[in-house]
Parts: sequence; C-alpha cells; structure tokens
Amino acid sequence: MALANLRGRVAWIFADEDFDVDQIVGVKNIKIKDPVELGRLAMRQQEPDFANKVRPGDLLVGNHNFGYGHPHYPPMIGMRHLGIAGVIAESFSPGYWRGEIAMGFPQAACPGVLQAVSRWDEIEVNWDTSLFHNHTTGAELPIEPLSDGDRLMLEAGGIVGYLHAREEEETGS
Amino acid sequence: MGRTIAEKILARVSGRETVTAGEEVLAKPDFVIAYDFPGYTDVIFRQMEEEFGIDTVAEPERFALFIDHMVPAATTQEEELHENTRSWGAKNKVPVYERKGIGHQVAAELGYATPGAFVVHFDGHISQLGTFGTLAIGVRRHLLEAFVKERIKFKVPATTRIDLNGTLQPGVTARDVFHHIVRVLGPRSCRGQVMELGGETIAALSLEGRQSINCLAMFTGAITAVMNPDEKALSYIRKRQRLDIEPVFSDPDADYAARHEIDVSDLEPIAVIPPSPANTRDLSEVAGTEVQVGYLGSCASGRVEDLALAADVLDGHRVKDGFQLHVIPTSQEIMEQAAERGIITRLINAGAFLSSSSCDYCFGRMGVMRAGQRAVSTGTLNVRGRMGSPDSEIYIVNAAAVAASAIEGRIADPRPYLKGHGLKGKSDGAG
Repeated sequence: MALANLRGRVAWIFADEDFDVDQIVGVKNIKIKDPVELGRLAMRQQEPDFANKVRPGDLLVGNHNFGYGHPHYPPMIGMRHLGIAGVIAESFSPGYWRGEIAMGFPQAACPGVLQAVSRWDEIEVNWDTSLFHNHTTGAELPIEPLSDGDRLMLEAGGIVGYLHAREEEETGS
Repeated sequence: MGRTIAEKILARVSGRETVTAGEEVLAKPDFVIAYDFPGYTDVIFRQMEEEFGIDTVAEPERFALFIDHMVPAATTQEEELHENTRSWGAKNKVPVYERKGIGHQVAAELGYATPGAFVVHFDGHISQLGTFGTLAIGVRRHLLEAFVKERIKFKVPATTRIDLNGTLQPGVTARDVFHHIVRVLGPRSCRGQVMELGGETIAALSLEGRQSINCLAMFTGAITAVMNPDEKALSYIRKRQRLDIEPVFSDPDADYAARHEIDVSDLEPIAVIPPSPANTRDLSEVAGTEVQVGYLGSCASGRVEDLALAADVLDGHRVKDGFQLHVIPTSQEIMEQAAERGIITRLINAGAFLSSSSCDYCFGRMGVMRAGQRAVSTGTLNVRGRMGSPDSEIYIVNAAAVAASAIEGRIADPRPYLKGHGLKGKSDGAG
C-alpha cells in the first residue's frame, strides 16, 4: 500500500520549542471527544478565526520536541476535523509521535524546516524519497525516514487497521 | 560489547539471545497495565470485541487494571465507566485494583515491578517501575496491540546513562534532582531513549525518591527510566514480585548513546515555573511570589518521606489563613504508614486538608483553581490549566517547599524550617 504524499499550505507555524499540543484546545477541553466541538475550540487562543482560514490538506509546522508534556488526543482530533493533514516539525516528543501515528495522523521529522517555511507556503512531504519540498520557495530538505512499523501504521490508517494487517500477515491470508 | 539493562530485558521477552538498540523486535510484555479512563480502556475493551472478536484475554494474570482516576466518582458517567471496568475485569478474570491508591505506586506495592520484567501501560508515568529494574513503558494507544496480540512490535531503544554524584543538602529532595537534570541536560536530552540513572546520589536515595525521579522521565524526552536494582530495591520487591525471573543489570561496557555526570552537592530547592516542565529555576528566584493553593501528592511525590518532610516543616506552624493545602498520600498503604508514624496527625494539626489517595488533584478534577490563583505543587505537570482555570498558575516545588509556602502564603524556601530536624525524612523512607 502506498502512503499518499502530504501536499498543502502551511496553516500555522508553532515556533516554540517543546510545544505542548494541549494548548491548541486548552487543557480544560481535553476531555471533549466531539470532533466538531474540538475543531471549533482549536486555536482560539492563538487565532480566533483559524478555522475559517484553513482548508483540507493544509499542514502544521513545529519546532523541536513538538508535543512535549502530557500530550492528549483531542487537539489533533480538532485539527483533523478542520482538514489538517499532518505535522512537519524539527523533531517530535516520542509520546506525542507514537500517539498520533497510532491515530493514523502523518508526522514528519524534518530538521531545518522552521527556517524553510513561511505561513501559507505550499509544501509537500514525499515519503518515498524522504524529501520535504517548499513549492513556494523551491527549498528542499531531507526528512527522517519513517520506521517500517510507523509506515505500516500510517498506511493502515492507524492502530486498528495495522493490527488487522498484522493478523493477515500472520495467518497468511 | 556489553548490553544495557533495557537490551537484556527486551532480548528475554523477544526470545532472543541479544538485541541491539535500533532493532525492531516482537516482544511479549510480562505485564499489561492500565487505569480506566474515557477514550482509553473503554475503547480498548470495545475494539477487542468488535474489531478483533476477542471475548477474553488469554493470560489474565499478565493484565492489571487500576481505578485511580475519578475516585470517588462525581458523575453517573464516571461510575458507569468504573462499573464497565469492573465487569470487564470479572469477565476476563483480570484483577481490578480500586481505591488502593495511584496505580503506578500500587503496581510497585503489588509486585508488578518485578526486576527484569517488561511492562506496558498507555501512561508514561509507569516509568517509575524502573526503580526496581523493571522496563516499564507508556505506549499510549499502542496498548491495544498488547490486549489483542501476545507480542507487540517494539523498537529497542538506545540508552543515555546519567550518574549523579554528591550528597544532597537538607531540604533538597529527589524531586529537585529530577528537575535539575532537565535544567542541566535539557528537555529533549534523552528523546526517544531510556534514561538510566546511577551513581552515589541514587545509591543514597530512598526507593521513594528514586520512584519520584523515574516517574518523570518523559520530561527529558525519554520513553522510560531504569536503574540497576541494588539490594535496597531487591529486598523491598523480593517478597512482592509476581514473577520468578532473575534481575538483570547493565554491563559496565554497555553501549550508551551518551553518558553524563552531574554533581548535586550544591543543588538548592528548585521551582519549575509555569507553563512548562522545561522551566527549572532555583526556588530563590521566585521566592516571595504569592500563592493561595498547595498540592502535595501525585505519583511523582506524596510518599511517606515527602509527608514526613512536610510535617517537619509545619511543626510549630500553621497553614496561613485562607491557604488551601491539599495533601493526598500516593497510596492507601502509604497513608496507613504515615498514620502509624503520627505524620497524618501532625499535618492535620497544622491545618492541612487530607484526602484518600486519588489521581484527581493532579489533573484538575479536584481542588481546582479559579482565574488568578497560583499553586505550589508536587503534581506531575505545570502547564496552563492543568489544575483549573487557564488563567491560574502552577509552580512545581518539592514537598518541603509546598509546606513552607503554605505557612507563608508565598513561595518559600523550606530550609529555615528544617533547622533542628537534621536530615529527617530525607532518605529513610521504607518504600
């Protein structure tokens, strides 16, 4: 199964290192499960009309150790509801990374990305070549290749699909 | 080339002679642990049945469930969640430990922290079982894999070794040591790796202190923490451990990703200022800041020596009028020990508000703050809104500093209050 490339605009740049994603919806909202509600709450603190500006396929860019702290799932459930298709960051906190990959939400570690983008640039992540492209500026950077397990997880759309795929592999069906 | 403790444990549970950092293995966790929480256990139970047609787990003795959040229930939905957990446990013959305390602590008391064992949980603070030479990892939603499959795919992590040297000053605790590590090495110094700790400071620390440090490993970016189990650890766990396996230890010539030495002789009490666990400062830099709330508890503190230290600070003093000091022992066993030693009485006499063990004060379900309030806390985290309003603030400090700040109503250095108490409460904890 091929993993579709990410292509979209830079909807937001989280410039802070060690960014705690719970701040996207606010810690008080991390027990909410409804994607519509979470989409409505997302980025209220940062940019109240964020939801009106993004469109499906848009991407987020982060600094080092993106997802540090106690990451929970609701912030990115909200972001996905708004159409955000993935995150590209200098580096990721392992707990956040593991959690979002298990949700089937693409993440790409790309050292140097922060200096290579401005908001609303058109960017692309090519999984097969492990390259990041900024189509607005022409910049190109290597991304850290996905591990086999992470790639399978993303191809399967998350942990449930991945485990089904493992069952098929093990039973030979 | 020698091996790290993490490599040795993962070799055994993947049926291999040796494994090396970076390899992906199929590992069989010795124990699969979870606490019930909406969106986690309820989803796992449902997906097991609906997606994979699994009615009951094959080896129930490998599984353990804790009910430690939302205890006691405040809504019917919470009690329904707990009831769902109890009935799933009964159907699966999986033990459900309820109202025994915070699961990460109780898991040690109940011997799931078997030296040499591999444990998975969805929550990263399970790393504190590393105190006993257990490799315990929070795998988040990947925990479903451990409920559905005997073996999980797991990449053998690299290890960073940190040796701590020097004797801690009175009033400086393990909690200060951990946040000092983050200050010196940085919040991503062990990113994706195992943080292995040793050295003379660790050797001198109580098991409780070691549990505090290992509990917080994630804030260095580590996926867990581990210590080679010494006689102190082994003698505590020997009569409790649930598996008859040999403890393992890192070889002196093990291949570490990095090695660091940190001297803690001059370490002072720290304060981790909001809104990030990466912001370690000396407490003296923020001393005098007005605070209205104090929280002593959580899986990262709140054990007997922390309670004793707070009682030492409070002796002969009173919690300032209007200050809310919440003290929540980490487990019922700890609360009982503290009661037997008269510590509970001393805390109550000084004006502390005590509750039975629960996770609820740590994640803003109980004891919440309104906008403008500020807390000193031994909870795990100080992000905005963790304990109530997003416009409240949390300063992480050690247990003694929570008590000193409760007396003064402002962030206070505990050391003047400990004069005459010697080193009491520092490293004599039982567990």
